[in-house]
Amino acid sequence: MQEHRALILRSNRFLGSALVERGLVSVDDLESANGKFMEAIQSSELKRASILNTLLFDLKALEEQTLLENLVDEEGYGLIDLNYIELGSLRPFKADLSLCWASSTIPFDRIEDTFFVASCYLLSAPVVKHWEELLDGRVVWYATSTNSLNRGLERIEEIHEAEDAAAAEEQE
Amino acid sequence: MPYSVLILDDDADFNSLLTDIFEQADYSVTSMADPVEAVEVFRNSKFDLVVTDHRMPEMTGAEFMREVMLIHAEVPVIMVSGYLENETIRELISEGVGGVFLKPLNIFSLLERTKELIDDAKKHEKAPQDDEESSSGSQMDTKLGFTFRSFPCKTGASTAFAERLHFLRNFRSTLTLIGEKGMHYRAICEDIRGFYGSDAEKFIYLSPDSFDRAQTVSAIEEAKLAGAERVTFVLLDVDSMNDEQKKLAVTLPKADGEFSDPELGLRAIYCVRGDLDSLFDEGLIDENLYILMGTAEVSVPPLRECNVDVGVMAQQLVVEIARSKGMAAVPRFEKAARDLLLKQQWEGNYDELRGVIEKMMASDPGDVLSLNIVKAALELNEAATPRAKFESYLSSQQVDFIRAAAILFGGDLAKAAKFYASDADQLSEKMK
Repeated sequence: MQEHRALILRSNRFLGSALVERGLVSVDDLESANGKFMEAIQSSELKRASILNTLLFDLKALEEQTLLENLVDEEGYGLIDLNYIELGSLRPFKADLSLCWASSTIPFDRIEDTFFVASCYLLSAPVVKHWEELLDGRVVWYATSTNSLNRGLERIEEIHEAEDAAAAEEQE
Repeated sequence: MPYSVLILDDDADFNSLLTDIFEQADYSVTSMADPVEAVEVFRNSKFDLVVTDHRMPEMTGAEFMREVMLIHAEVPVIMVSGYLENETIRELISEGVGGVFLKPLNIFSLLERTKELIDDAKKHEKAPQDDEESSSGSQMDTKLGFTFRSFPCKTGASTAFAERLHFLRNFRSTLTLIGEKGMHYRAICEDIRGFYGSDAEKFIYLSPDSFDRAQTVSAIEEAKLAGAERVTFVLLDVDSMNDEQKKLAVTLPKADGEFSDPELGLRAIYCVRGDLDSLFDEGLIDENLYILMGTAEVSVPPLRECNVDVGVMAQQLVVEIARSKGMAAVPRFEKAARDLLLKQQWEGNYDELRGVIEKMMASDPGDVLSLNIVKAALELNEAATPRAKFESYLSSQQVDFIRAAAILFGGDLAKAAKFYASDADQLSEKMK
């Protein structure tokens, strides 16, 4: 995760500003969330460093339903529940799991040069830019809930472990 | 000190005549031709009387009178016109005009009435004010709904800026003002202070050469003794501060440790040049400041995006300088001269505009700031010689190249210095 420290900082700063600009959270709540975010950054607990999670679950300053409605109604994104998607390995996407955790984003499908990507950080311009540059093709973005994303990442972790185990067995 | 009179007439000849009449009667005169600019100059300066024409293209004299009465109801207004319907005169009187004079003018009556009105106004000024609160409330900008002086807010960019600052006025601990070089941060922060209208709000301005722990602690003590309930530190040029100062800038609004005081609120306004991402990439702000500054950030519009404001700001500066020099009359801009000012890019923003106006006013320019005076000041401002111009161009390019290298090497100045076969301290100094 350390290699994504700058992206984590940038994406969270942009997300916080975007939430305030859209009137979804107050400046006061963002200040509190920023404080907790910096504590996590400084203790190198980068997986815990998420302004969104802090606002949703620690401070309860934002309803996830409200955010998702905003993404669909105001920003025009589609909504997806990854629990109903058959996920595969990330390796064909040139992406690693730590980047997905750092940016709360999963590329979950590909048709030729078009990538289908789900994210909880769609309001954060650096996340969108980073992935679009990495995938180097057309990207169709979907909004997803934190629960769906976290569960998805755990499933992908299991898939990677199984792939690693199979590769080790083959070598033996 | 002579009484101060604002004269508004779009007819240059009649404006000159009125100016001469009042100057010869020992009044300090500011003459204006544009009613919109005149409202702004009136808002930002103190006048004892206003004399206005009635028929003007952008605003009638009656409309102008209503605007100035909203700002300072106590300042008397005299209307001068070639012809007015009886009904209009009746309306003007019912709205509180101090006198109506038709052309050709009876100069003695005009000056006599002027004296009576100013004397009356001064008597009222000395009497106790029961309605002080409503009077100060009436100074608000009618369009914005609050007072804002650092920008005249005649453009979308400056109006949006003022409104955003007003919206964020109750920020809890930090606010960041992001602008280009030459911004008038002090005036902007004075506007923020004005939003509260309370003596318990204290603003303290600190820059890299005056910001240290001891100075800060002593400023807090002084503010407490003066009865402050909340102190807002305005930290100027944060990007040029040393590491110790930057740490202090982060600690201060958190009100921890030696700054902890349950009876005193502490906040910080950070003023920086350049956007936060570039400053972070260049290593000029650390992670803590980057996140802290991002909580409530406001971009200050550059002057080139507020060109209509420039005309008003220029005239305000002329009034300010004329008064500080004790000039009998305040010069006004010829239309072509003002238009030329509006066309400039003002890369150095307010500081550059002030510099140019100071150059115009350095020698006595007379009653009118002509196109030639403005051209000469602009040329002086650009650079005295072609060599100086070229040096200035190379110098700005040099800084851009250093910044680019700093970004390339992740803010590591030592690597950037090695790349240019130079010294890290020298690069750091250049970037400041």
